[in-house]
Amino acid sequence: MTNSIVELENADCILVIGSNTTSSHPLVATRIFRAKARGAKIVVADPRFVQLANKADLYMRHKLGTDVALINGMMNVILSNGWHKQDFVDERTEGFEEFRKVVEQYTPERVSEITGVSAEDIRTAADWYANAKAGSIVYCMGITQHTTGVDNVKTLANLSMLTGHIGRESTGVNPLRGQNNVQGACDMGGLPNVYPGYQPVNVAANKEKFEKAWNAKLSDKVGLTIPGVLEGLSAGSVKAVVIVGENPMVSDPDVHHVEKALKNAELLVVQDIFLTPTAELAHVVLPGASFAEKDGTFSNTERRVQRVRKAVEPVGDAREDWKIFQDLSTRFGYKMEYGSPAEIMAEISSVTPSYGGISFERLEGDGLLWPCPSAEHPGTKFLHQGKFSRGRGLFHAIEYKPPAEQIDAEYPFWLSTGRIHVHYHTGTMTRNSPTLHKEMPEGFLEVNPVDARALGVKSGDAVRVASRRGEVVIKVDITARVTQGTVFMPFHFVETCANLLTNPANDPIAKIPEYKVCAVQLEKAL
Amino acid sequence: MVEKVKARVQELLASGKVKGFIGLRELHGHIGPYLFTDGGDLDGFVIGDRKAAGDTRYPLNTQLIMISRQYPEETLGVLVRGCDERGLKTLFNTNQLKPEKVVSVGIACPQELADVCECMKPFPEEFVAGEASEARPFGSVERIESIEIGERLKVWLGEFAKCIKCYGCRNICPMCYCPECTLEAKDFQAVGSIASENPIFHLTRALHMAGRCIDCGLCSEACPADIPLRTLYKKIADIVDLEFQYRPGYQDSKGKMSPNVLGEAAKH
Amino acid sequence: MEYRTVLTTCTYCGCGCGFYLEVLDGRVVGTIPCKTNPVSEGKLCVKGWNVHEFIHSPKRLTQPLLRKDGALTPVSWDEALDFTAKRMREIKEANGSDSVAFLASAKVTNEENYLIQKFARAAVGTNNVDHCARL
Repeated sequence: MTNSIVELENADCILVIGSNTTSSHPLVATRIFRAKARGAKIVVADPRFVQLANKADLYMRHKLGTDVALINGMMNVILSNGWHKQDFVDERTEGFEEFRKVVEQYTPERVSEITGVSAEDIRTAADWYANAKAGSIVYCMGITQHTTGVDNVKTLANLSMLTGHIGRESTGVNPLRGQNNVQGACDMGGLPNVYPGYQPVNVAANKEKFEKAWNAKLSDKVGLTIPGVLEGLSAGSVKAVVIVGENPMVSDPDVHHVEKALKNAELLVVQDIFLTPTAELAHVVLPGASFAEKDGTFSNTERRVQRVRKAVEPVGDAREDWKIFQDLSTRFGYKMEYGSPAEIMAEISSVTPSYGGISFERLEGDGLLWPCPSAEHPGTKFLHQGKFSRGRGLFHAIEYKPPAEQIDAEYPFWLSTGRIHVHYHTGTMTRNSPTLHKEMPEGFLEVNPVDARALGVKSGDAVRVASRRGEVVIKVDITARVTQGTVFMPFHFVETCANLLTNPANDPIAKIPEYKVCAVQLEKAL
Repeated sequence: MVEKVKARVQELLASGKVKGFIGLRELHGHIGPYLFTDGGDLDGFVIGDRKAAGDTRYPLNTQLIMISRQYPEETLGVLVRGCDERGLKTLFNTNQLKPEKVVSVGIACPQELADVCECMKPFPEEFVAGEASEARPFGSVERIESIEIGERLKVWLGEFAKCIKCYGCRNICPMCYCPECTLEAKDFQAVGSIASENPIFHLTRALHMAGRCIDCGLCSEACPADIPLRTLYKKIADIVDLEFQYRPGYQDSKGKMSPNVLGEAAKH
Repeated sequence: MEYRTVLTTCTYCGCGCGFYLEVLDGRVVGTIPCKTNPVSEGKLCVKGWNVHEFIHSPKRLTQPLLRKDGALTPVSWDEALDFTAKRMREIKEANGSDSVAFLASAKVTNEENYLIQKFARAAVGTNNVDHCARL
C-alpha cells in the first residue's frame, strides 16, 4: 500500500475495486466502515456483489476482466470535465499526452457497452473520486489475477496521478496483500530478479555488493518465476525444487499440469507444517514450525514490520524454519551460523536500505513502516510524498484487452474464484481448525437463480463443473451475488479444487495467472 | 494509584492467600492479561490505562474461569472494575466460579471512563484505588429510541449488514461460557453464511444477553464493524429490569427472579 | 500452574493484526486480540480468533520424512538433511546451478525468507527464487 491502513478512515472517497474486503481483509474493512460513518463516499466496483457492496454509496457491477475499460471511462469523464489536477500532472508526471489520446477513446457510452455499467454511474464515480479532497483506491486480487493484471494496476496508478490523489495523507493506490508475509517475502528478495530491498540482480554494483556481503560468487542471470519453474520441470531443465510453506497442488492454476511437472522432479523437498497435497509428492518432507513456535518478523500490507514471538516449542521433532535452512546450507557447504532471528535481522538491515534502521529493539510497540533507512528514521507512513520513487510518475497509455479465455457454446459460463471469510488460501491451517471447519466444512459453487432454474438445480444439489482443463463435482449455492452467466467458487477446498478448472494463462510481465476468469460448462450431477 | 493496587497484590501473593493473580502487564509496548505468581516480581504491573483511562480493558474473568477449571483447588486473585465485579457475582450465581476460590482486588473507574461507558456503577463494592465516580444514564439507548421505529429498524439492519461474523462479540464476552452456542445452531444461521444476510444472528445474541450482560462494553470494542452492540444489550438489560426487577451483578437489585434460577436456565 | 500470554502477529492475511496467544501448561489454548495494536485495535476476524486451533493439531508434521521404496518414511534430521544436501549438490554439479529452484514463502518470517534466498543465491548460485506473491 502506498498509504497506511489507518489513513483510510479519513479519506473522502474510497474506490474499492476487485477486493472482497470484509472477507479477505476484514480489519481494512473496519477503516472503510469508519470512513463511511464520517461521510465518505464509498464506491465498490466488483463483478460479484461482495458484502461491502451493501454499504456502498455506488456499486458498479462491471463484467469480469473489464477493469481497464471501466477506469479509462472514469478518466475520460474526469478529463472532459476538467476535474483532473493539471498542476500535479505538469509538475510530477510524464507521458500524459500519449495517455490522454487513449483515454479520449473511452467515452462513458462506449465503456458502458464493454463493462455493463451505466454511463451515469461511471460519471458519478468519476465525480466523487476526482473531486474528493482525499481519494483513495483499494484493490486486491480482483485487479491483479488477470492476463491484464499489470495493465489493471497501471490504470489505477494513472487514475491516482491524474487526480493528484497520491503522495498525500489518506490517498494512494492501496493493494491489499493476501498473505501475512507476502510483502516481507518480496522485501527479502524472495523473487527471481531482485536481492533484498528490490535491488536488481542484473545490476553489476548490486551483485558486487552482495558478493562481498555474502562472501560468495553470485549469478547475474534473472531466475525463474513459479510458472517458469514448472515449465523447466516439464522440459527437464529444472531437476530439483525446494518448496517452503507453499501448496501449489491446490493454489496454482491447472493443477493437473502442476502435478505432472512436480512428479518430473529428481528431487522435490517440501518444508511445511502439515502433509499438504504438495508434500505428498515430495522425496523429502521437512517439518517446520508454525508462527507460534518461533521468533521473527512479518511485514504487513502497509509495509509495517512487526514482531512474531515464540509462544511454545515446535511440536514433536519439528524445527524452526530458519534453523532448518542454516543447517541445510552448512551441510551443503556454505556455512550459516546465526544465533537468533534478531541476528539475521541485523544482517538484513546492513544490506537492505529500506530496512536499514530496523532492529528487533526498535520493533517493540507499534513496529516500523519501511522505508526506514537509518536507526533514527521514524519509518514512512505514506509513499511518494513530493516525488515518486522513479522521479516523475509515468502515465501509461493502456487499451482494454479482453480475458484470455472466452465463453462459447461448449463452455458457456464464466467462472471466477476467490476466498471466503472462514478459510484461508489452501486451507492447510483453517481446515485443520475445528471451529473454522465446522463453520464451513466444504466448498460450493455460487450460481445465479435464473441459471439454477435453467439447470434444474436447487441449493445443495451437486453440479458437474468442467473447463477445458478439468472438472469438479460440487454443491451449488443459489444466490444473486453472481450475475446470470457467471459462477463463483472458493479455492480453499482440495476435494472440490477450483484450480483444476482455472486457466494458467498469465500476465506477460508479472506472470500472474488469470484466476478470476475462465470458461466452464455446468450440468446437474446425478 | 497503581502502587496501592500492586501493594495489595504483593501481599496476597506473598501471604499465599492466592496462588496467582490475574491482572494486566505492560510488555513490548502493549498491555495485556497476565498471571502474576510471584509477589516479588510484579514488573510491568499496570491497571489498564495506556493512552486513555481503561483503554486496555480485557475480560480477565474469562482467563480466571479458564485457569480455575484447570486448577479447581487453587484460590486466584483478579483485578476488577465495577463491571468485572458485576460479572464475578453473576458467574458465582451461575456456578461458573466458586466465590471462596476468588479474591478480587478492586479499582474504581475515573469519571471520563464512566461517561464513555454510560456506566450505572463505575466502581466495585470495595476498591483499593481510585474514587467512586458518578453513575451515568444510558444516553445511547435514549438517542436511538428517539428515532422513529421504522427508521430505527433500518439503522439496526444497516449496522448488522456490516457484520463479518467473527463471533468476536461472543468470544470476548466474559459472560459467554456456554459449551454449546445458539449462534452456531443451524436452525438459526445457515452454515458458512455471513450474519448480514440474516439479522437473526445479532438478535439471537441480544436475547441471550438478557439477565447475563453486565454492561462492560468489551463486545463493542471488539467489533471489527463498530456495531454499537453495547447499546443493544443496554436496552435488553433495561427490559429485563423492567419486567423482572433484575440487573445482573447489582447488589441493590430488587431481585424478583432468583439469580440461580436464571443461571440454571442459562446453562440450558 | 503456567499461564502465559505471548504477544504476536497473525499468520493469515496481510492486515497484520496483533494478539496474545494464551499458553496454559505448555499448550496454546486461546487468542486474545491486543487492544493497542495499531492495525487491529482489539478486533479480529473469525480466522484470527481461532488461529490457535491448528497449532497442536494431531495432523501436524512432527518428524522428517524421506521417500523410501516409494513411501514417505520417518527418518532422523541428520538423515533427511544429509540426503537433501547431497542430492542437491549432485544435481547442481551435473546440471548447473540453474537446475535447482526454490519457492520461498509468504508464510514464514522475513528472517527465514532472507535465509532461503541467501541459500539459493550464495550457496547454490541461482536466482531461481520465487514465491506465491501472484496467487
